[in-house]
Amino acid sequence: MSRVIVVTSGKGGVGKTTTSAAFSAGLASKGYKTAVIDFDVGLRNLDLIMGVERRVVYDFVNVINGEATLRQALIKDKRVDNLYILPASQTRDKDALTEEGVENVINDLKDDGFDYIICDSPAGIEKGAFMALYFADEAIIVTNPEVSSVRDSDRILGILQSKSRAAEEGNVVKEHLVITRYSPERVDSGDMISLDDIVEILSVPLLGVIPESGSVLQASNSGIPVIMDKESRAGQAYMDIVGRFLGEKIEHRFLDVEKQGFFKKLFG
Amino acid sequence: MTLTQSVLELKGEMLMLNVLRLYDINIENIESALQLKRDEAPMFFIQSPIVIDCSNLGEQGKLLDLRALRRILVKMDFVPVGLRGIADGMRAAALAAGWNILRTPARPPSKDKKVLAKEKKSSIAKSDIESEKVADNPVEPVTIQKSNMTIERPIRSGQQVYAENADLIVLSQTSAGSEIMADGSIHVYGPLRGRVLAGVKGDTTARIFCRSLEAELIVIAGCYQLLDESDTNLQGKPAMIYLDQDKLIIEPLI
Ligand SMILES: Nc1ncnc2c1ncn2[C@@H]1O[C@H](COP(=O)(O)OP(=O)(O)O)[C@@H](O)[C@H]1O
Ligand SMILES: [Mg+2]
Repeated sequence: MSRVIVVTSGKGGVGKTTTSAAFSAGLASKGYKTAVIDFDVGLRNLDLIMGVERRVVYDFVNVINGEATLRQALIKDKRVDNLYILPASQTRDKDALTEEGVENVINDLKDDGFDYIICDSPAGIEKGAFMALYFADEAIIVTNPEVSSVRDSDRILGILQSKSRAAEEGNVVKEHLVITRYSPERVDSGDMISLDDIVEILSVPLLGVIPESGSVLQASNSGIPVIMDKESRAGQAYMDIVGRFLGEKIEHRFLDVEKQGFFKKLFG
Repeated sequence: MTLTQSVLELKGEMLMLNVLRLYDINIENIESALQLKRDEAPMFFIQSPIVIDCSNLGEQGKLLDLRALRRILVKMDFVPVGLRGIADGMRAAALAAGWNILRTPARPPSKDKKVLAKEKKSSIAKSDIESEKVADNPVEPVTIQKSNMTIERPIRSGQQVYAENADLIVLSQTSAGSEIMADGSIHVYGPLRGRVLAGVKGDTTARIFCRSLEAELIVIAGCYQLLDESDTNLQGKPAMIYLDQDKLIIEPLI
């Protein structure tokens, strides 16, 4: 049974695409056949972060318009088996995403035996974001520890549970909270909202916390999902998230200010 | 007592108002459709104020016979209050036909939100306005028969829920930036954070009960209080709010 999972937030620049790339690569690395779709028509970021931008021939909109088959447009990842990327178009606008077109693509992926279909949502609450969440069975809500981000996540949760197809049919979309760019130092200094407060405000089960980490930018610059960087804290935190999503019991980590340990100070 | 106080009192009051949203300019069609609606509950509509919303007519509205419209409304015992959402070119004709012109509310009135207590599922406001034919429910006939509406999921920022002719029970939280309304009382079992309006049609006996009072705005029967401006020490605590002579009283809930 395929599951459709939207990665959404309302606000832009919070880490949706980073999370979509990491999460889909993580699921695939655990053996699940996974497709990740870039719904950010006009911006097209996912293929960059996943290092396949030079392999894009056809895109999501081409498939919707019948200008290419799904098979032609899907890019198979060279590093991770079972991972496929459906890039967004850079030249079209968001109206190119029709409900019928998106549904057909998702159904074709299901028929192709994909276990997980990850939908990387654009920011905002316009057409693209709406299309990304409309067919979702589950949602990963990406939030930064800032008031505006938390508020936008709350809004998108409302839309998710009232406007998605699941909601229209009287069902509930399963919610997961991922807090990214978490910086314990800045929470301690009062610049950012604490973990507990975010969970309390949104009342969504916490899937994981990704620390603010320079390795994210490094990874995306070199086109490798950060989850494949086993050394990086962000990469490890993403791997934990995948494990928890699949039902493993894994303690949350990287939540406290890192103690500048004696050895670390000595040997840096 | 100051002079103004002895001469008059000016205060906001919630008034039940029918909004007639037009989708057609044909007077015969409007008349027969409205007649049907009115005949469903003739007593209810006698001398009830009515606002005509023309925003769906667009430029076409210029062709609407405003005198005839006024005439049929009066004939059916409505009290025409005014027009709103009119196209620019309609102003002069409207005034000439004796109509008042009202500001269009910044926020569409709750009626548009199609969240009616009688919807079986605990439904959450959809902000899109479905277009129906002429005379889209000029307010459901009220047979004050209270029921209740129970919502199990959180009410999020940007959402609006209205329990018409009913009490509203929310088992989860309401977020900052949400709005919950009921003609009756409201009970919230998670944190109450948004705007909360009980007794929307003027029931002064309506009350608000909550487990954690963190609301932005509290309203009962049109009397309102911003929580930030209140001197209550019950913020974040279980509370009951009721109206005593036009004054909102916030009391601890055991
Ligand atoms: N955990 C993190 N630590 C540091 N930078 C991050 C982290 N997550 C995301 N970023 C950076 O934030 C920016 C926006 O991320 P992106 O995933 O494109 O967000 P979105 O898709 O929500 O717009 C990128 O420059 C990315 O490198
Ligand atoms: Mg993105």
